[in-house]
Amino acid sequence: MAKRILLYAVLAVGAFVSVFPYLLVVLTAFKTQAQLSGTAPWLPGLPPTADNLAKMLAGDFPRYLLNTAGMTALLTAGQLVFTTFAAYAFARLRFRGRDVLFWLFVATMMVPSAVTMIPLFLIMRELELINTWYGLLAPYVLGTPYGIFLMRQFFKTLPAGLEEAARIDGAGPLTVLVRVMLPLCRPALGTLAIITVISSWNSFLWPLIITSSDDTKVITVAIATLKQGIGVDYNLMMAGSLIALVPMVAVFVFFQKHIVRSVVLSGLK
Amino acid sequence: MTSHTAERSLGTDVQVAKGRRRRGSGWHAYLFVVPSLFGVVAFLLLPMVIVLVLSLFDWQLLSDPTFVGLDNYRRLAGDGQTWHSLGVTIAYVLLCIPLQTVLALSLAMLLNQRVKGVRFYRSLFVVPWMATPIVLALIWGWIFDPRDGAINSALALVGVTGPDWLSDPTWALPAVALVSVWQYTGYNMLFFLAGLQGIPKELHDAAETDGATPAQRFWRVTLPLLNPTMFFVSVTNLIGSFQVFDTVYAMTDGGPSHTTEVINFRIFQTAFKEFDFGYAATLSTLLFLIIFLVTMAQVRFFGKRTTYDLS
Repeated sequence: MAKRILLYAVLAVGAFVSVFPYLLVVLTAFKTQAQLSGTAPWLPGLPPTADNLAKMLAGDFPRYLLNTAGMTALLTAGQLVFTTFAAYAFARLRFRGRDVLFWLFVATMMVPSAVTMIPLFLIMRELELINTWYGLLAPYVLGTPYGIFLMRQFFKTLPAGLEEAARIDGAGPLTVLVRVMLPLCRPALGTLAIITVISSWNSFLWPLIITSSDDTKVITVAIATLKQGIGVDYNLMMAGSLIALVPMVAVFVFFQKHIVRSVVLSGLK
Repeated sequence: MTSHTAERSLGTDVQVAKGRRRRGSGWHAYLFVVPSLFGVVAFLLLPMVIVLVLSLFDWQLLSDPTFVGLDNYRRLAGDGQTWHSLGVTIAYVLLCIPLQTVLALSLAMLLNQRVKGVRFYRSLFVVPWMATPIVLALIWGWIFDPRDGAINSALALVGVTGPDWLSDPTWALPAVALVSVWQYTGYNMLFFLAGLQGIPKELHDAAETDGATPAQRFWRVTLPLLNPTMFFVSVTNLIGSFQVFDTVYAMTDGGPSHTTEVINFRIFQTAFKEFDFGYAATLSTLLFLIIFLVTMAQVRFFGKRTTYDLS
């Protein structure tokens, strides 16, 4: 029994530590300037005010939200399709140069991202894609080495026997992938989708470099701009942060059960 | 690569359709790989080659690039500041990785048993990972604030005067590392949880019947079977930690007195503050080499201990 209590105590403390900074964001977003300086960070300002949120939503913020959503949707779709094909080939098909190619992919994961930004920018300038949706999406829409690495590890855990039956019946690699493997992949695809949604939604450095017009500006860049404004307005910044955060939390809560699911066994039983 | 080794990795049932696949899958396989391959070549490999070439040039942005051969590498050898940055990076990695991995695995094991509200906890632990870096830096900067920050306010309640975290050379790096651990523990927990649920329960039951203690079951059954997960988690975490940038940039700006100046931050400084692109490219090459060697070491380490095929 004592063990049980200890378990729940550990979980409760861990949950509190996880959520505490978010709590501060929420509390601050609903405080007036006066309440911000008058109350402790972890206490609510009474009465709460929705002025900060209203102010953010009245400006250009909804537009940036829409841009971010569009970018996230396209990058996620691209990642899911292209990554799945490549990862399956690397995990299960045999072709000349497979291992060399795979390690090439993994090697590119090791390239410091802050550095590829310079040449990437130069390339986009040559192609005249700066400040366009093409420039914003191109480097990531064909999938990422990280995604391929993740999916390949997953494909490798699936028993080979599952494909054999289909192969003996004469199914080609495409049929095997779509009919046999993909249904088993749902948990892994869910994981990959969530990872991509969240990293696209939060991506900052590349959008900052490649876009400057309102047509392509995303929400992280907008928040950073708030920070650079004269006299940092904490409440407004936290209101903006809250608006940026809510869709991600919603997405996560919705998909949560897909991520963590028995992967190997549920495919067999 | 001979077909023999590739077949072995697919298991025993491979013999059945040997002939058909040897001819069949090659053509499709290339088609499957081509889009991603194009992306990687155009947007990662090409930039990487540009960086390599740039490292042989002196280019101060405003001047034209001049070829200087290995001069940048000679300069690197005597560049104490860079070696200091490397030390900071290694300290950061050593602070983050063990703590993050042990915490993530422990949480996963706690949440892999019958617990009330298990989904609720799983969700909460992953929430930090969803934070936008900018927001994260703002909020943690405030939590670490020496006067009205949450940590020191809480410490004051029990009569302890907390340090000036982010301005104190001793505490700044641990503070930044703590934020990373906070952000990524739950995320890694998800992978361990998926890995744990992939371990057949029968194996644990069998071990228990044979009289294995919980500790023995952990070291002899759980850990070896988690090897593929452990491989993925440690490779991606190490690569990520060596490249840490956002948190440092937004929380401490490399200070106080360079104590949080990790190598990636130094590269950024050299390129975008000093506009010394050629030398920045040289530093990038160094960082790439280090990450490459560390990853190869991990591949060998995990390759030797695993019953799974990692190649």
